[in-house]
Amino acid sequence: MAIRVNPKLIDELATYGAADVQNCYHCGNCSAVCAHSDDTFVFPRKPMRLLQMGLEKRIEASLDPWLCYYCGQCSTQCPRGAEPGETMMSLRRWLTSRYDFTGISRLFYVSWKAEVGALVLVAVLTCVGFLTYGFLNGNIAHYDGPTAFLPSSVVHVFDWVMAVALSLLLLINAGRMWWFTTVKNPRIRPRLASYLKALYLLPLQFLTQKEYARCESRRPWAIHLSLMLSYVTMLILIMFFLKQIQEGPAIAWPFHAFGYVATAGLLFGVIHAMRGRIARKEPHLKHSHESDWIFLVMLLVVTLTGVVQHVLHRSGLELAANIAYVVHLSLVVPMLMLEVPFGKWSHLAYRPLAAFLAAIHRDALVSQRTSTANGEPGSTSRALAAA
Amino acid sequence: MARVGVFIGQYHSDSRIVFDALASYAANLRAVEKVRLLGLRPKVDVKALADEIRRERLDRIVLAGDSPGYFKPAFTRAFELAGGDPSEVRLASFREHGAGLADATERAKAILACAVHGVPYPLVAVPRPTTVHPATLVIGGGVAGIQASLEIADAGKKVYLVERSGTIGGHMAMFDKTFPTLDCAACILTPKMVAVHDHEMIELLTNSEVTRVTGSPGAFKVQVLRRARRVDEASCVACNACTEICPISVWSEFDANLTHRKAIYIPFPQAVPSAYLVDPAACTWVQSGGTKCGACAKKCPKGCINLDEQDRSVEIEVGNIVLATGYEMLDAHRVEQYGYGKYPNVLTSIEFERMTNASGPTGGKIVTKTKELNRRLKVEEWVANPQGPPPRSVAIIHCVGSRDPKYNAYCSRVCCMYSLKFAHLVREKLPDAACYEFYIDMRAFGKGYEEFMERIKAEGAHVVRGRTAQVVEVDGQLVVKGEDIVQDRLVQHPADLVILAVGVVPAQGTVELAKALGVPRDADGFFSELNYNGDPTYTERGGIYVAGMCQAPKDIPDTVAQASAVGAGVLRSISTGHGMGNLDSLTLSEIEERAARSQAAER
Repeated sequence: MAIRVNPKLIDELATYGAADVQNCYHCGNCSAVCAHSDDTFVFPRKPMRLLQMGLEKRIEASLDPWLCYYCGQCSTQCPRGAEPGETMMSLRRWLTSRYDFTGISRLFYVSWKAEVGALVLVAVLTCVGFLTYGFLNGNIAHYDGPTAFLPSSVVHVFDWVMAVALSLLLLINAGRMWWFTTVKNPRIRPRLASYLKALYLLPLQFLTQKEYARCESRRPWAIHLSLMLSYVTMLILIMFFLKQIQEGPAIAWPFHAFGYVATAGLLFGVIHAMRGRIARKEPHLKHSHESDWIFLVMLLVVTLTGVVQHVLHRSGLELAANIAYVVHLSLVVPMLMLEVPFGKWSHLAYRPLAAFLAAIHRDALVSQRTSTANGEPGSTSRALAAA
Repeated sequence: MARVGVFIGQYHSDSRIVFDALASYAANLRAVEKVRLLGLRPKVDVKALADEIRRERLDRIVLAGDSPGYFKPAFTRAFELAGGDPSEVRLASFREHGAGLADATERAKAILACAVHGVPYPLVAVPRPTTVHPATLVIGGGVAGIQASLEIADAGKKVYLVERSGTIGGHMAMFDKTFPTLDCAACILTPKMVAVHDHEMIELLTNSEVTRVTGSPGAFKVQVLRRARRVDEASCVACNACTEICPISVWSEFDANLTHRKAIYIPFPQAVPSAYLVDPAACTWVQSGGTKCGACAKKCPKGCINLDEQDRSVEIEVGNIVLATGYEMLDAHRVEQYGYGKYPNVLTSIEFERMTNASGPTGGKIVTKTKELNRRLKVEEWVANPQGPPPRSVAIIHCVGSRDPKYNAYCSRVCCMYSLKFAHLVREKLPDAACYEFYIDMRAFGKGYEEFMERIKAEGAHVVRGRTAQVVEVDGQLVVKGEDIVQDRLVQHPADLVILAVGVVPAQGTVELAKALGVPRDADGFFSELNYNGDPTYTERGGIYVAGMCQAPKDIPDTVAQASAVGAGVLRSISTGHGMGNLDSLTLSEIEERAARSQAAER
């Protein structure tokens, strides 16, 4: 098969963040220092090489970027300032845009103005939609009761419709990831059994992110996990217990207790990330793409408007609470609609999927290797045996 | 007064020189009778030119322009036809003397003025009338300083060789073999060292440092601090009686801290001068102010030890100064991931050089370090003992602190080749031991180097392309982690001995010396040469030259070649009485003034 080379690939990637790929002189220091790199998945040097050579399809078929959790050791030790860690981050953005069949993701990563424009558009539409519904069916001075401006039952239905739509989009994109990396990859012949064997990795990786914990420092993992668990808690509350947490004015402690903890977790995580990106001290927070800031700002204002709405409602200021609720919804809807399938948030699917597929690839490569009679044993074991 | 005709030709269309301005400048010079602009690449009609010369009664022709030498034959012929003296056809070569930059026209004027006055342009830069003092100061007694001293002294000129340590020989004296020929380093160096010592024209000032330099090119006054050796150089016969009785042991710098020496010691048996010296920081007598110990002075059969000798300062006068201060190794502690200082069996290259040296602490045996009790300090120390266990595997890591902006952005140039030499020595002395070389790019650029690399590979060293990321200890076993980028896999090789091919940095004191002499340093901290391609041995400061590693990292052949070239520059300066000044720093009026003075002196 002919190999297609994209000579502009490095320039293309620069718009996704990686600017220093050409500096790399392939000493291999980064791969050797990486806690995740092993005999099967050798990175970041190899992807750097593929990038320099413009082998687009090989990178598209690569899981390497998703196995990197950006501790930054590679960039710190790099003798050339080639920023391998940031290159892996940029590749994740690039791959996200490749997996997305709509092309919207690419548009957002290439132009932050397009992303902001889309956010504003969806926000306005959401705002108009909920206001129209509210004024037609309720009273803006009432938060609870039969004449409530936005009854929880209605919002609940809306939530579920949106959840199904977003899941569908994300599923299609995740399917494309599987297609590119595993089905179309000529070097991998996966066995069905290994799919079943590795299935447990999907929920395990999603909930514990244990791969992240293998990085040199465990702190980023702990903070990320707390952020993720807070978010999942909020999601469960909203999807299944909206009635209990929205209606009042009494506080339903068995549910709200979770909500408060999750809110605190979200605020802590977001503010920590923002401060880190401003200070630019830690290697993984040194470089910020526009999309990183848009994501963080959205998450912060969504959380804050949620808090304001809750406080106003519980203090009996129902009119103000209704306005705050509309504002909150006008922020949370565009954030989810655009970030989950097309933006940074899509990694909630790609990360566990990559861990799952990596296990399958590893399995396939081992069986392919052992099926060759004079297969080559791993260099490590051979060297140890020799000594 | 000569009647001078100036013919200005333009030989490159892209010249920056304003020719009209140049012509009017030339017309105003006193001796000039005739100025003619020849235009771009003129065709010379010899006969018409001869007529013109005869008509104007010119007795000197100045042919000016970029590369005007091309037209010299035609002009000489015309001048001869007109009855002139062919040696009076003078060239004012603009581009060749650097009139091509921003101030091209100004420089062209200066060059032209010199030619009109009949003075070679480069010579006006040294103020007249000065005679260059025939003595030369060489700072640094490594192979560069030794070679330069011998070149100059063999031509019959006086040399002062100042060396900071107790012996000359420098780093080369520490080496066992040289690459790529695997010659015995001492066999090349020690005869030269002895020659320096015995030379009637060389005054050897060891244990000394240059503290102040005043004066100007051709007549420098140099203050040299002569640290007290406390042993009379002339009468010491190196019998070793003092060392035997001395109770104080400290780490031996010459043996790269692999073993100990006494407070009164000789750096190595072949040291020049062959005399012992006292380390005042370790000596009990010196430290106690002359109240304790003093055993060596009593023991010495020749009575040549004077523990109360004091440092003194001497002033010498020289015409030229040669900088040959060499280098030192980058502090390997800084490259933390390789664990130098943490793991005793991670060695620097210089430590390994001493270990493999037949006259080194282990007698040339390659061993892993062993723990020994230091009885005086009551602490356990890791020492290279010849009885220590030999390593089963040796890893050599290239580019430690080189080609990395965090340490040295530059390539240290010698590490690849000495690392290959190490691999050879390991394979030769320990045929059963595995030897790994981790490299980024193999820089085998010299005569016979590529072939040397192929030879080492054929000898069975495992050459791994990939920089080592880490040296770690796993269950008491050192493991070297890296990526083999050719094989596309990660490797973890167990190694009993790890050798770091540490990069080189300018020697300690380079900054102070550069300040004292007014010699600029480059971005990497080495002394700057005047012109990298054209004048690699001169500095911007007239009368001061550079040789060896202090100018830039280089191997022994290049160092020796540069040192010999320095000899040529120094001797030329002494024999012509003119040094090479800094042309760029002179203004046009200064050059005119000097040219006129030169002309007056000639008459």
